[in-house]
Order: sequence, then structure tokens, then C-alpha cells
Amino acid sequence: MSEPLSRRRFLQLSGAAALGATALAACGSGGGAGGDQITYWGAFQTKDLEKYFKENFIDAYNKAATGADALKVNMTVKQIETIDRLTQTAVASGSGPDLIATFGPAQTLNYVGNGNLLPLDPYVAQYGWQDAFLPWALDAGRVDGKLYSLPANLETMAVFYNPATFAQHGWKPPTTLAEFEALCQDAKGKGMVPVGAGNAEWKPATEWDVTWVWNTFAGPTALYEALTGERRWTDPVFVDAINLLKGWFDKGWFGGSTDRYFTNKNSTVYSQLAGGGAALVFNGSWAFAEIGPYFGEAAGNDATWDFAPLPSLGSGVPAGVQPLSVGAAYSINKDCAQPARAADVLNYFVTDPARQLGTLAATGLPPAPVKVAEKDFPASTDPRVRRQYLALSSGANIGYTTWTFWPPKSDTYIYEQMEKVLVGQLSPQDYCAGLDKVFQEELKAGQRPPVPAPTGA
Amino acid sequence: MAIMQVHRSAAPAARPGHAERRTRLRRAAVGFAFMAPLLVVNVVVIAAPGAMSIWYSFTDWTGLGPASFVGLDNYTNLLGDPEFHNALLHNTLWTLFFLTVPMAMGLFGAFLLSHIRRFQMLFRVAYFIPYVVATVVSGSIWESLLSPDQGIGDGLAAIGLPWLKDVNFLGDPDLALGTVAFVNTWQWWGFLVVIFLASMQAVSPQLYEAARLDGANRWREFWHITLPGIRPTLMFLGLMTVIWSFLIFDYIYILTQGGPAGSTDVLGTLLYRNAFANLQAGYAASIGVVMALVSVIAVSGFLYLRRRGWDI
Repeated sequence: MSEPLSRRRFLQLSGAAALGATALAACGSGGGAGGDQITYWGAFQTKDLEKYFKENFIDAYNKAATGADALKVNMTVKQIETIDRLTQTAVASGSGPDLIATFGPAQTLNYVGNGNLLPLDPYVAQYGWQDAFLPWALDAGRVDGKLYSLPANLETMAVFYNPATFAQHGWKPPTTLAEFEALCQDAKGKGMVPVGAGNAEWKPATEWDVTWVWNTFAGPTALYEALTGERRWTDPVFVDAINLLKGWFDKGWFGGSTDRYFTNKNSTVYSQLAGGGAALVFNGSWAFAEIGPYFGEAAGNDATWDFAPLPSLGSGVPAGVQPLSVGAAYSINKDCAQPARAADVLNYFVTDPARQLGTLAATGLPPAPVKVAEKDFPASTDPRVRRQYLALSSGANIGYTTWTFWPPKSDTYIYEQMEKVLVGQLSPQDYCAGLDKVFQEELKAGQRPPVPAPTGA
Repeated sequence: MAIMQVHRSAAPAARPGHAERRTRLRRAAVGFAFMAPLLVVNVVVIAAPGAMSIWYSFTDWTGLGPASFVGLDNYTNLLGDPEFHNALLHNTLWTLFFLTVPMAMGLFGAFLLSHIRRFQMLFRVAYFIPYVVATVVSGSIWESLLSPDQGIGDGLAAIGLPWLKDVNFLGDPDLALGTVAFVNTWQWWGFLVVIFLASMQAVSPQLYEAARLDGANRWREFWHITLPGIRPTLMFLGLMTVIWSFLIFDYIYILTQGGPAGSTDVLGTLLYRNAFANLQAGYAASIGVVMALVSVIAVSGFLYLRRRGWDI
């Protein structure tokens, strides 16, 4: 499957409207239509997703908007590769859309800092957002006590595996460091790739590994302390985790070898998993939307996939940490001529569990972090997907993804410089020291997104 | 009488001069009128954003909202930024490579083609085709060809030639920059062949005939007749090579995105990352100004040599 756009970018965008594949909305002023309609910028990975979104979100809203003060939504489709740049440029020039979609709290923060957004607090009670969203998710959109964005998708990370491969080799999903390393060693000895991985299509994929290793080795509590400035990134617990990851790469456990990791594509990784060439794949729940074509009838094989919670690599860290990812959020432009109507559209796009889970079932794309119960899932929902989102909805044992809770420069540092660690140009100590320097500057400048407290197991 | 004659001759001469000036002015006005739309476009698309970029390079602009003046901070930071040094080094290596290898290939190819008559057009078209293939297409094709799993190396190994098997051209930091340059050369050198060939065909055949009568071999013909004969073209393409080499972005971004581990990072990718990932648009603008400065220096050198009388 050809995938020119990164998963992360794609799903960050896609999740933007709970559809997973859309980006953003705009209404009224500036580039919009001056208040007589709500204009919307959508960006889609495929024509099918565009069609689904148009029918189930845009057309459905317009059909329902029949009151005297109702405004129609007018969607313009943009290129998904450039929609964030287009939005940024438009907002910077004062002609931006009224409903601004971002890649999550970190990006929203930049718009807040520049005074581009309207507080959403007047609409919280009106639409019952406090009860609709998972509490931590709504809090992620608050800056200095004011709500500036609504979360539009929810992701986490897990271990994907092929049950047939596991049965053949007598493996079980690892829950501890010892089990993980034993499995990798065994797989390597059998000529397999222990962990299918690669960043050829999406350089920031390297931060996925940093994310899950830090969450499972250092643990959410240590991460929370570091994110809030109580602990430094030079702390041995973070350095040791990077050392561990580097050691695994050196052994050729990830992607086959470090140089292969740099050229492995998504198609390679999933094909290896389906064909029994790779034992595990650490990936985000966005894989639900893209893994299908490599397994079963669609791929001309009888392979299946499943996933397990992340193992615990560090002492005192419970297994099954769920690093939270809010890869998309909606806000209202301060210049919006009809902010109340924009809020109504926003509410329609992200809060209805039936619409969110219907989209998940139909497209596999992530829903907004709204409270859901088992009965809310359509019968057609893949049971594996249902299992994951029910676990996420419990709000237990949360962790932190680097692309959601780290400020922008620190986030870039994490994946750019990690490549230098992997090829031996930078030591784990220097890597963490460099991150600490960048992070402390951004923390001081108020650029760190809001961070929910850890919830424990 | 003589004075009268002078007056007579002077008076009628003054009128056409005045009329001529008016005609010239009118023609110039018409010319400017035709040029005006293009000038307006250039001012809007190039001059104004260029001036704004210079201004932003002295600010801490994030890409959103207001920008605060920070003096020379961005430029001072550039001097101490190892990523900037790394990218600048790669651009310099890239420039040196493209000033030599593809140019030499282009010259050699054109010289050989200039000596054949049959199938010349076929070769010209064959060499030129890669140049008209979209970068994203040729980049993707080469990405597959260079894949360690299903690329050239793997294919050769299958027929008993294992030397390139397991060579990861784009995944090895020591090979990646050279590999991307090779791919770009594949697209570029055919264009040079066609341009050089057109230039060579303008060199007088009599010079070659005279040289042959004097006993010159092909190499001496090339060195003493061909090269001096195409010097303006050579210099112009050299100038453009310098400018284009500092603007390189597309192949790098498509094939490696600056990786692995920054081994193919160039000023273009560094600028892009700072502007859109790090939200340091002011800093990115200062990188852009440095890139523009290289072009200004190259063009200035070109103009200086022309003023000194160089036939370029």
C-alpha cells in the first residue's frame, strides 16, 4: 500500500473531525464567507474518506441546520500535505479560517500565544462538554484556565503481533523487560526481525519508539514530573531508557538493522508482520486504519493481527501504560463573525458518541476522546478496535506521547537527534542533556501544552 | 551663405531629433506598459516577500502573530548552530560535485554527440527525457531501485552478482548524500548535454578543419576550440549550478528528508524544519537570507567578470 503521507500527520489531521481523515474548519470571516456561512477546509487521505466526511458530517449538519439563525457549512478540500501550512499562513496574515484545526494542544498553544483564538468557555455548559469528554482530554485544551480547543481524536500506542506467528514459536505478548528481550533474542536467532520498524516515510516515527520506551521504562509519573519541570531530562531514568533503545537497535532488533530502519516503509513493516518475518510492531492505534490491507482476504493470505498492551520495562511501572495522543483539536478564530454558530458546528463534529464510533467502525479512524460505553459501539465495529477504545475510555494508566505533550522544538529535537543516537553520533547522555536545554527554554516561555496528571493503573 | 546653409541644414535637423526623441519615449512607454504586469507580479511575488524575509530574519517571529526585533541574534545563532554548519557543508559539497561531475559528463556527452550525425536526435531525446520527468516521480522510482530489499542490489544478487547486496544507499549516513546527488545527476546531465551540444554547434567548423590540418587530435580540438567556443554557456551554467545547488530541496526531501541522522540535511531542509516544525520562522528567514546571499555573490562575480571584459 502506497502511503506518501505520514500516518501521524494523516491521522492527526484525520482525527480532526472524529472522522480521522479531515482537517479543518473555517467559518465566517477572513478567508471565509463573511459570516453568512461556515466555511470549512477539509483534507483527506482518500476520496472515500472525503466522501464519507462530506455525507456524514457536512451534508448531515446542513440538513439538520434549519432554524432561523442556522448557517450552512461550506467545505473546501485542501491538500492534506499542506493544510497545516496553509492554515498557519492564513491565520498569520489575518485572513485565516474561523474554525481552526490544529495537530493538537501543542500547536494550539501557538495560536493562543498569538491571540488568534476565542475562548470556548461560554459553550462548555451549553453543550455539556464537561460531561461529554474524558476529563483529561478537555483539560488538554485549557491554557491559563481558559478552554481554547476541543480534542478531535484519541490515540494511544500498543504492541501489534500476528497470533499465528506467536503460536508457531510458542510466544506470548511480552509484559516485562525480560520477556520482551527473550522474545527478541529468540526471534533474531530464528532469522526474523524482532521488531518491525522504519521511518522512511515519516521521519518522526522515531519518536514513537522514544515515547513507548520512556512511558514503559521511566513511567508516566517520572514523565509527568519532567514535563512539569520537577525533574530534569538528564535524570538517569530517561538516559537509561535511551541507552536501552540504542542497544536494541545495535543488536539489529528494530527493522533488521539501523540502516534498514531508515529505509523501511510502512508496507515493509506490515508485510513482515503478516508474513511471519517480524515478531512485533510497536505502533499507534492509527494502525487500525491501515493494517487491514496486509492481512487476510485483502492481501491474499490467511494472516490475522492482534494487539497487546505495552509491556512494563522499568521497576514500578505497571504494564499496559496507555500513552495518550490527541493529534487534532478544533478552535475558533478570534475574527469569527458567528462564533456561536461555529461552536455549534464544532460540537456536532466531535461530541456525539454515535457519530464518532460510527466513523470508527466505518473507516477505522480514531474518534474524539468522548466518553463511550460498550453499547455505543456499532455492531460492525472490529472487536479488537472496540477493546482498545474501551480501555482508553476508562482513562486508567495514562501516559504521554511526545507529539502531544512536548513543546514543538523539543518534539522535533526528540526525533531528529535520536537518529544521531542510533548511528552513534550522539551519546544518550548528550541527547538527554540537549533535550533538557531545549525543553527548559520552552517551558520557561510557556510553550508546553497542558499535561494531565497520571492516573495510575 | 555658408552660415545660411548651416542654419538651413541645422533647422530641419532639429525637428526630426525632437520627433525622434518623442518616438523613442513613446516606444519606451509602450515597452514599459507591456512590462508593467510582469514587474508588478515580480514585486508582489519576489521583491515584497524578499524584503519581508529580510525583516523577519531580524525578529523572533514564530510564523504566527507579531514579530519582535531581536537584532542580529538569529545570525549570531546561525554561526554557533552545528546543524547550520552541517547543512552549509552539504550544500558546499553538493555545489562542488555539480560543478564538476555532471558538467564533465555533459561536456563529454555533447562533444561525442557533436561528432556523430546518425541517431544524434535519438540520443539527444534519450538523454533529455529524465529532465522532463517530474522530480517526485523519478525520486520515487530511484527510491525503489535503491531499496536494499527489492532494488538493483537485490536484483544483481539474484543473477550471481552479489557486490551491491545489502548496500543500503539511502540508509547509510556515509552513502546517502552521494546517492541523492547521483540521482539528481541522472536527471540533470542530459539537460547539460543538450545545452552544450547546441552551443558547440555554433562553433565554426572551419576552426576544426584548420586544427585538423595543423595535426590537432580530438582532445586538442576540444581543449583549444570547443571549450573557448562555448565559454559563455559554460560560465552561465556554472553560475546557475551554484545558485541551484544552494536551493536544492526536492530530491533531498523526497528521498531522505535530510536523514539519516542529518547526513543529507541542506539549508533548504533546515529552513523548512525551523519554519514549520520548530515554529522559528524568524530563524528560518535568516537561513533563507544566507541562501539568497550565496546567489547574490555568484551573480555579482559573474557580472564583475563581464565588466572586466570576459566573454561570458
